[in-house]
Amino acid sequence: MASRDVVRYETPLSTAFKWLSAIFIAIYVVWTVLPIFIMFMSSFKDLLEAFKLPAVGDWGGIMVFFDFTPTTKHYYELFANLGFTTYLFNSLVAAGGSAVVSVVLGSLCAYSLSRIDFRGKSDLFFWIISTRMAPVVAVMVPLYWIFRELDLVGTLPGLILAYTTFNLPFAIWILKGFFDNVPYAIEEAQMVDGATRFQAFRAILPLVAPGIGAFIVLCILFAWNDYLFAAIIGSGGAKTLPAATRELVQPQNIQWGQIMAAGVVTTLPMMFLGLVIRKYLVTGLTMGAVKE
Amino acid sequence: MAKVSFRNVWKKYGTTPAVKDLNIECPDGSFLSILGPSGCGKSSTMRMVAGLEHITAGQILFDEKPINTLAPKDRDVAMVFENYALYPHKSVFENMANPLKLRGQDATVIKDRVMAAAKLLEISQLLERRPQELSGGQKQRVAIGRAIVREPNLFLFDEPIAHLDAKLRAHMRGEIKHLQRTLGTTMIYVTHDQLEAMSMADTIAVMHEGELQQLGTPREVYNKPVNAWVAGFVGEPAMNFVDVGLQDKDGKTYFIHPNFSIAVTDQQQHIIAAAARVNALRMGVRPDAMSISLVKPKHECITGKIFVTELLGGDMIIDVDLDDGSRIRVKTSTDFDGVEGQTCYMTVNRDKWHAFSKENGKALF
Repeated sequence: MASRDVVRYETPLSTAFKWLSAIFIAIYVVWTVLPIFIMFMSSFKDLLEAFKLPAVGDWGGIMVFFDFTPTTKHYYELFANLGFTTYLFNSLVAAGGSAVVSVVLGSLCAYSLSRIDFRGKSDLFFWIISTRMAPVVAVMVPLYWIFRELDLVGTLPGLILAYTTFNLPFAIWILKGFFDNVPYAIEEAQMVDGATRFQAFRAILPLVAPGIGAFIVLCILFAWNDYLFAAIIGSGGAKTLPAATRELVQPQNIQWGQIMAAGVVTTLPMMFLGLVIRKYLVTGLTMGAVKE
Repeated sequence: MAKVSFRNVWKKYGTTPAVKDLNIECPDGSFLSILGPSGCGKSSTMRMVAGLEHITAGQILFDEKPINTLAPKDRDVAMVFENYALYPHKSVFENMANPLKLRGQDATVIKDRVMAAAKLLEISQLLERRPQELSGGQKQRVAIGRAIVREPNLFLFDEPIAHLDAKLRAHMRGEIKHLQRTLGTTMIYVTHDQLEAMSMADTIAVMHEGELQQLGTPREVYNKPVNAWVAGFVGEPAMNFVDVGLQDKDGKTYFIHPNFSIAVTDQQQHIIAAAARVNALRMGVRPDAMSISLVKPKHECITGKIFVTELLGGDMIIDVDLDDGSRIRVKTSTDFDGVEGQTCYMTVNRDKWHAFSKENGKALF
């Protein structure tokens, strides 16, 4: 990667700037981490304890936040009575399924776009990207109608198809860049060595693995965090975690404890995935696959 | 092992011809070098043999069997690429084992073959490494190793040593030639470096702008170039070309030029006479077919002014200006002590000079 040491000299301005950026980062960390922290803590609190507030101006009273008896009753309620096991499963299948389908179709398509010249190729490529330009809401109504006619509403295959519709252009777009960076000579060497075209394609897949890894994560994130498709296409039979969480907001009362617990259940797997695949994600999106 | 024949082979990209009507016979077990500047169609030719490009027209035959429509894997050729094209995610061993693995060989056979090839190329200690941990010369050996682990119909080497440094290149020339002799496999070797072609090949095919200019042994190509282009491309330092007029005097034909007037040999005179109605030619002399002196010799010679002298260690190159604005280079021994601006005299070995038509560059002798 192209980062390297840059010579820097101290000036009053640069010192001030250093302090400013430190303050900014501190605020940014609080801003992003605090809500997750509060959500995590609150999910273990009873409703009364969760709403215990110190008096205005009483900074010592902030310790009240940590003063509670931990309880797992919200989690128990979610999985035992509210069917969150099914919703978690639905989320996993919908996100994983669309990632797999997108990566298989996407890599084949990206490989073709990268290697084969044909008439209208750049137009086709632009058209593929442009399908991502329209907001999801704009296509939701016609999409719903199509899915209903095909009996796909409220089914997991329907949801996978819906996510794939939006992930596939993205897959093609990312993976084409990675294939472009693999020298064609490597496939030619494979073919001369005795491989068929398809074997040669398979042989270079390890070279685009960082791209595939990065894409799978982004694809899963999109599907996992999606609410709109889940609520409309998946409604009924294929309810996912975000859609189920939304239903905890009921007209007569809002199940804060359960919502917090559901939030943790939704967030944790993605944080874990992020940690596991962090290396891939960073190198995958910045570095262009392989150098010769 | 196979004999390779090109019969009226054409390659066109769109309407642009890259290879025009190529005819070459490359006998079984011989070393053919395709020589030419970049863009002359030599790489296209090789890629057509490998099956990486379609043959637009004509036929390529292995042992008289046309291979035009065979996929690369069915042609059974082994190729070494210009930038090696090693598989970056595989170890050296896996790289070399790949062709055998794809052909479904046993693990033990693969191991034996790879070991034998690695020993031959002196890379046995590198088998566990990845390509990015290797130097240029080592990568190149691995690429060759991948080609020689099996017994293909023929080897295709596409400028395999172009990216090595000069010293290693000189070393690898000898090694590759020795390798080809040892294995006895037909070899087609593409290069833009006339020195590589001269020093390694049994036969050189000189190509220029998609056309085969000359097919011959290195000696033939060097000593009897068919046209001015081949004469100028082969040989370093390059051949000198000087436009001369013709004059008949006392039954002898003379090359005349502001700086000299030299009679041709009797045999050359007959050739010129046979080529009806020429009165001007392009004379070509290699720098080592002349001698230079500061003392005017008694016989006919070329007079000129020294422009610059270059010492090359073992010998010297003298650049000499002639009155018509042309400049010629002479190779001489390091004893020569002329300095810039001095008048000098060059004697030409008339058996080794050449004459080319001014219209089409064809060689008369």
